[in-house]
Amino acid sequence: MQRTPRIATLALAALLLGMLAGLGCSSRKQVTTADTTPPPPPPTETTTPPPPSEPPSETTAEPTAAGLDDAFFDFDAAEIRSDAKDALTNNGRYLQAHGGTNVVIEGHCDERGSVEYNLALGERRARAAKDFLVSYGVPASRLTTISYGKERPFDAGHDESAWSKNRRAHFVSK
Amino acid sequence: MGSNTSSSRSALALYLAVALLLVWPGRATTQTDVRIGVKASGTLKSPLLLERFRAGAGAETDARNAHDVVRHDFDLSGVFAVADVEPLTEKLTPNPAEQGTVRVQGIIEMAGPGLQFSGEVLDIGSGESVFKRSYPTTRGDIRRTMHKFNDDVIEALTGERGIAETKIAFVRTTGRVKEIWVADYDGENGRPLTHDNSIALSPAWAPWGSEIAFTTFKRGNPDLYLFDLVRGASYPFSTRPGLNTAPCYSPDGKWIACTLTRDGNAEIYLVSRDAQTARRLTRNGRIDSSPSFSPTGNQIAFTSDRSGSPQVYVMDTEGSNQRLITLEGKYNDSPQWSPKGDRIVYASRHDAVFDVIVMDANGQNAVQVTFQAGHNENPRWSADARKIYFSSTRSGQRQIFIMNPDGSDVVQLTNKGGESFNPAAGPRAKKRLQAAGSG
Repeated sequence: MQRTPRIATLALAALLLGMLAGLGCSSRKQVTTADTTPPPPPPTETTTPPPPSEPPSETTAEPTAAGLDDAFFDFDAAEIRSDAKDALTNNGRYLQAHGGTNVVIEGHCDERGSVEYNLALGERRARAAKDFLVSYGVPASRLTTISYGKERPFDAGHDESAWSKNRRAHFVSK
Repeated sequence: MGSNTSSSRSALALYLAVALLLVWPGRATTQTDVRIGVKASGTLKSPLLLERFRAGAGAETDARNAHDVVRHDFDLSGVFAVADVEPLTEKLTPNPAEQGTVRVQGIIEMAGPGLQFSGEVLDIGSGESVFKRSYPTTRGDIRRTMHKFNDDVIEALTGERGIAETKIAFVRTTGRVKEIWVADYDGENGRPLTHDNSIALSPAWAPWGSEIAFTTFKRGNPDLYLFDLVRGASYPFSTRPGLNTAPCYSPDGKWIACTLTRDGNAEIYLVSRDAQTARRLTRNGRIDSSPSFSPTGNQIAFTSDRSGSPQVYVMDTEGSNQRLITLEGKYNDSPQWSPKGDRIVYASRHDAVFDVIVMDANGQNAVQVTFQAGHNENPRWSADARKIYFSSTRSGQRQIFIMNPDGSDVVQLTNKGGESFNPAAGPRAKKRLQAAGSG
């Protein structure tokens, strides 16, 4: 079908175009109604927002290991921010003082982007947090990682306020 | 198909070929060099007059139901511009001026304990029958019968079957639980495949159509499982520590490309379907994910953020010759190679929203096909490459939609309950391939 000689078909194409013009137009109008739904307002994008000081009222959080803080990240990034360094340093101090505590470091992402990419990004975040703690002196054997990507948001909202809380490494006691 | 109709059929096929060449921007002589941010060119379809179906005594409701199903199929096909007409009262008078227009007739009658549907397609230009077939059916089977009729008609007129008999898989959310669902190609008859009460993601169809690979957290770690649709059960495929995600079968079914982090960072691997062999294809300190085979099996498109943000790359299936192919946009992800091989669809983030882009497989001629309608992601080609499934937030939470590859004819397919996303279009029913290994 796609091998149809182009020269032989051009005249026919013109004829067909003319014949279809009326039909095509009317059917187009009917079928594009799904496109007329007003889109939700585009989300704003900011970088390096302040980490949340308190959890939101509507939360789906996993239980946090006592004394261990979340480390937060920028959009599409797994680099440890300065505020995350403070949180992880605190966690390192706590883990050294509580030698019996082993933790799972969960990597989480905000809702933007694909399931698959965010699973990989969450893995990078969890590993970045783990690497920081190992450098701090916590034995790697006490730290395991898992990525939930964007599938377990801390805050179910759809704005930067929610996203900034969801881009995190979260600590759960084993 | 009588031999006396072959000449008119080939003439009709020629006209349809012209029309269909114009349907797809990637093929069309009228293709405009539209860049991202500019609306894609429109779709031109073949005119089809669909008669109200006639009914034998007692089958009036069935005739209406059958008509409605196939009307929706013809509309969704992307091939036809459908107009409803009354049945002919006398023999069709040929009208050469309407060469290329077809007229579809149907009748449903009681037949023994069930029903029989008889359908016929007339070429208005020649007045001749170009397709005619009878289908035994039952009241509960009319939908499936009309899907088959639709696919038969499209095959008779274009040489390639439609997709009305195919299935889709997707992820549906209920509260915190995400399960894999399967539905008809048009979103009807949806049912959950998994009942893991966990997080199941990223379904991918085996080429032979009776197996779906997916990621599940049901044992805690994101593991790859294979769901056998014949047995109705799943079993573990790759449970290596870390990520086991983003599966894609090779066209011959012998390999599953996927993302593993067993070596410390998200890399793409080929794992043999018998799970005995894993070959690493990418090596760098950044994310490599979302592999998609070309239909020849010789190349793989994938996402990598090795340049600092996610972009679409292509490599040979051995992992060699890795190269960036997206030329525009700062954030491009979720590539899928067209079953025809000529194009790649992906999702691009721009101006804080995601939209679907279709480009040539070499990265040229990227055309944005969704506009100003929430976030549009997870694009996946239908088996015939005449449609693209995707997820969109245009009606609120994420749901599955279908459209033509130029962005026209957007139709929402899911709406019940929670969010639906991660659509995956199943292959056409075909002879069962010999799957590699013992499985």
